[in-house]
Amino acid sequence: MALLNSVLALRKDPRILKLPPYLSLLCILGGIAWLLVLPLQEYSRGTYVSENALLPGQVHTYFTGSEHNIFRAYRQEVHGLADKSIEERTRRLGDVFRSQNLKVATQRYKYHASGRNISNQNVYAILQGPRADATEAVVLIGAWRNMDNEINTSGVALVLTLARYFKRWSLWSKDIIFLVSGDSTSGPQAWVDAYHDSHSSDAVEPLSIKSGALQGAIAVDYPAGPWGHRYDKLHIVYDGVNGQLPNLDLFNTAVSIANGQMGIGCTLQRMWKHDDKYQDRLQTVVRGMMSQGLGHATGPHSSFIPYHVDAITLQTVGDGWHDEMSLGRTVESLFRSLNNLLEHLHQSFFFYLLMQANRFVSIGTYLPSAMVIAVNFSITAIALWVASGRSATIPNPASTDHKDKNAAVTVVEKDGAKAIIPTAALEITERSLFLPLGFVLSSHFIGLLPLYIFNNTSQSYLNLAFNATTAITTILPLATAFALSSVKQPTEQETTLVQCFSLLLLGMFLSALATLNFSLSFLIGIAASPLSFTRAIHAPPASSPTSPPPSFLKKNRTAISVAQATLIAALNPLVLMKIAALVWKVDITDILVKAAEGWHVWGLWTQVVVWLAWWPAWFCGAVVVGSGLFS
Amino acid sequence: MAIDQQKALLFGAAAAVRLLLFTAFPSLPTLLAGRVEVSTPVTSFKRLQEGLFLYTHNVSPYDGGVYHQAPLLLPLFSLLPNPSYYPFATNLLFTAVDLLGASALMQIVESGQSVTTRLFSSSRKDMRWSSIAVAASFLFNPFTVVTCVARSTSALTNLFILTAMAKASQGASFTFIFALSIASYLSMHPILLFPPLLLLCYDVRVTKTKSSSSPLAFTFYHTMGLVDAIGGLLSLSAFLTGSWEFLSATYGVRLLLPDLTPNVGLWWYFFTEMFDSFREFFLGVFWLHVASYMPGLTIRLRKQPLFVAATLTGIFAVFTPYPSIADAALYLSLVPLFRHLFPMMRYTFLAASTILYATFLGPAFYYLWIYAGSGNANFFYAITLVWSLGLSVVVGDSIYAALRDELDVERPELRGKDVKRI
Repeated sequence: MALLNSVLALRKDPRILKLPPYLSLLCILGGIAWLLVLPLQEYSRGTYVSENALLPGQVHTYFTGSEHNIFRAYRQEVHGLADKSIEERTRRLGDVFRSQNLKVATQRYKYHASGRNISNQNVYAILQGPRADATEAVVLIGAWRNMDNEINTSGVALVLTLARYFKRWSLWSKDIIFLVSGDSTSGPQAWVDAYHDSHSSDAVEPLSIKSGALQGAIAVDYPAGPWGHRYDKLHIVYDGVNGQLPNLDLFNTAVSIANGQMGIGCTLQRMWKHDDKYQDRLQTVVRGMMSQGLGHATGPHSSFIPYHVDAITLQTVGDGWHDEMSLGRTVESLFRSLNNLLEHLHQSFFFYLLMQANRFVSIGTYLPSAMVIAVNFSITAIALWVASGRSATIPNPASTDHKDKNAAVTVVEKDGAKAIIPTAALEITERSLFLPLGFVLSSHFIGLLPLYIFNNTSQSYLNLAFNATTAITTILPLATAFALSSVKQPTEQETTLVQCFSLLLLGMFLSALATLNFSLSFLIGIAASPLSFTRAIHAPPASSPTSPPPSFLKKNRTAISVAQATLIAALNPLVLMKIAALVWKVDITDILVKAAEGWHVWGLWTQVVVWLAWWPAWFCGAVVVGSGLFS
Repeated sequence: MAIDQQKALLFGAAAAVRLLLFTAFPSLPTLLAGRVEVSTPVTSFKRLQEGLFLYTHNVSPYDGGVYHQAPLLLPLFSLLPNPSYYPFATNLLFTAVDLLGASALMQIVESGQSVTTRLFSSSRKDMRWSSIAVAASFLFNPFTVVTCVARSTSALTNLFILTAMAKASQGASFTFIFALSIASYLSMHPILLFPPLLLLCYDVRVTKTKSSSSPLAFTFYHTMGLVDAIGGLLSLSAFLTGSWEFLSATYGVRLLLPDLTPNVGLWWYFFTEMFDSFREFFLGVFWLHVASYMPGLTIRLRKQPLFVAATLTGIFAVFTPYPSIADAALYLSLVPLFRHLFPMMRYTFLAASTILYATFLGPAFYYLWIYAGSGNANFFYAITLVWSLGLSVVVGDSIYAALRDELDVERPELRGKDVKRI
């Protein structure tokens, strides 16, 4: 109890208020350092297959020999469909499946986003497993066009060939669905939405035939033309929409089969050259985090993951000596492994960062880095709360310094002993919460406006809308601060509380987000971290002989405030987006079009986080700094 | 601006917000009604609709074991057009329920019973929020708004609890008994509010009439009144449904917890984990725990019965078997009545942050568990623990503040000194 009391007594110590900025800085640096050590050998782990039913690479694969001729024939067929209409293509692909004695159905979909029409057709066939009771199914996807909008000729041909080949086997204990989707993102989304009956009926046709619960999905991306192309490696793409990941066991099985059984090298996150050095590992992790943070669909598999269907895309890359048959055998072996599953993949990790095809860190190891970054905002918020409840500096009546002499004092008596205490130390400061709370909440509501604009503007105006919003949001905080100061000058306590609440909310959003999408939380945390350190520097009260001489901060108030305002203006989420687009040489319109498509089709909520969590926090921070400038 | 104008403006704004949410986002009520944080098996609007369907098709609403709410709700809601096609009337009803609740809350504030009772007058009694401010904090509390939009029937319970408090603090025996009996009829646990509210009613009556009637006779008549009112409601229900089987389907479910759908409370997880042989024992223990706060607080804080009643609603929000955010909304809207205690509360920031964190992490963890499949039940349960912790910190801290406030009046020389727990 005595200890508790002395700890509680510490609350009154002014020195305690000096600590939080350093603590916050420590949290941010600690969070970054934590991430930087992850690629080291000691902190990461080798991957392993947890689910013992999978038995990757334990079966002999028979997809060879004469199947190659069939594959070549299908490839010619598919190539011949390249310039046909969508209806014709669907019909002919359906005919191929039908000729293999599979049940075939088609599905139209038509989405509108950014004034564009995304309409196409999916065609799929169901192989009823000879030993299956139609309660479980696995999906093999060949999107008609891949993510780079090339026709996936060999990929689709391989799906057709494998359908014919799989049909002959009697060992399937799950149904197999072969899906040729119209494109790589919206098509699979339409299909998987309709499969789970959660589609909007005006955009997507319902599925006429279905099978059981989906246990996994493998997409093949092999855009080689009619004469084939020998590839060097398999690029395994695993990011789902909103940064959700498939179970690590699926990835491990694919790597283990491709690498161990077929001798095909595997790579990930577009790391074509990976020397297993620290830099390469770190780069892979960072690329994985960028991709996860953006939360966009990275391939046909992405749409499956939100439905808790583990899925990956196998993409062929480079020039080498592996041919389509080895890819086919990889898929065959992979399906044999999935066929073995007794229950849904659940053993291994759902949250991980991969740094190489066979090294990873799991959530327990990496989560603290995003959490401590989120905690830094909470620490600052608590410090600001405490600071806001403190009256102006407490004078020291015992000081020999002249300036404290006139301070009001109170005599207190305890156990017969008297003491003289500055009155300021006894007063309880009431906080006026109304304006700060209202301001923070309404700035979060303002975020709905750009969210609506960017999701519903047509493509041709998106760039204009972006530039206009950037300009407006840059000026808005200063204008708001100026307007506030001319209507009703906010007190120092009120600006402190605005910052306190906004950082409290930001810290809370980020720590909640870290559990859902670690990377997004981490990236926003880093980008917003200066908000913990900017402060409104108010003009000192009109000087009287008793007031202390202005401190360094107060003396250079304008200069420091301008520097802070400039820094914050550069941290505007929109400005950062523009810079990122310039660095990676991406057109900002493309990003916005994809984002709007994501919003309307894939159920992407990255923009919700940006506009309703990050931007309002930035806005409040900027207004706080601005109010110091105009005080 | 006159108080009536302010009130009209406030109520108009609150109604507008609700009706706007209902009309602008037509899928929102269904979405919220499906959230476990908002709708429990005993308050869910979806289950009410199911019961209503059976009732209008002349099947016992309790067949099928989905509907666990009071039978008298059925004729009420069957008067309204089918909410699946014409939701406006139902929406209007729930909006009106919230506005009436706010009106009752304003009456509680205006009675002044939160700061000055017959036996006690706080030394900080001038530190009060106006009735408009308290009503605004109820009407614009996001938890209240969400409860209203989800059309959870706990909104009705909240209304009758608030009405009972308002009438007790005005000394209006008849309406107090009537409101409390309906609240108890709807959700059972409000019956525990009877003793503190009876004391409140008695105190107010004695102050008003300046003559002390016999407390025993007063208690007797009111208890009889309550028994009669509840008995009447139950008989009416039995008459309506044609049998007494509704008792086991409504109060039986609340007492024995057969439906272990997750909620924000502490019971469901314990009872999913528990071996069946211990079930009865722990049901007894858990209920005893909930009920035991009532006598203790009523006796210790005899001088501030309204505070006891308000604190008990906080206890209900944490410790009853099927709590939802509606219960927390009721408690959090009663806390501003005790504005004079705020300066003595020590953990406001901590409690507020905890509740806020839990509000955001709860849905996130539920999503991880149910939809993403990457989490499990422990995630959500951990957050409900944090949520309950936050609420209990507010409860505990406010009790401390109330005791401290009493101490300041009894021993003025101790004012401003640190207290030690012995």
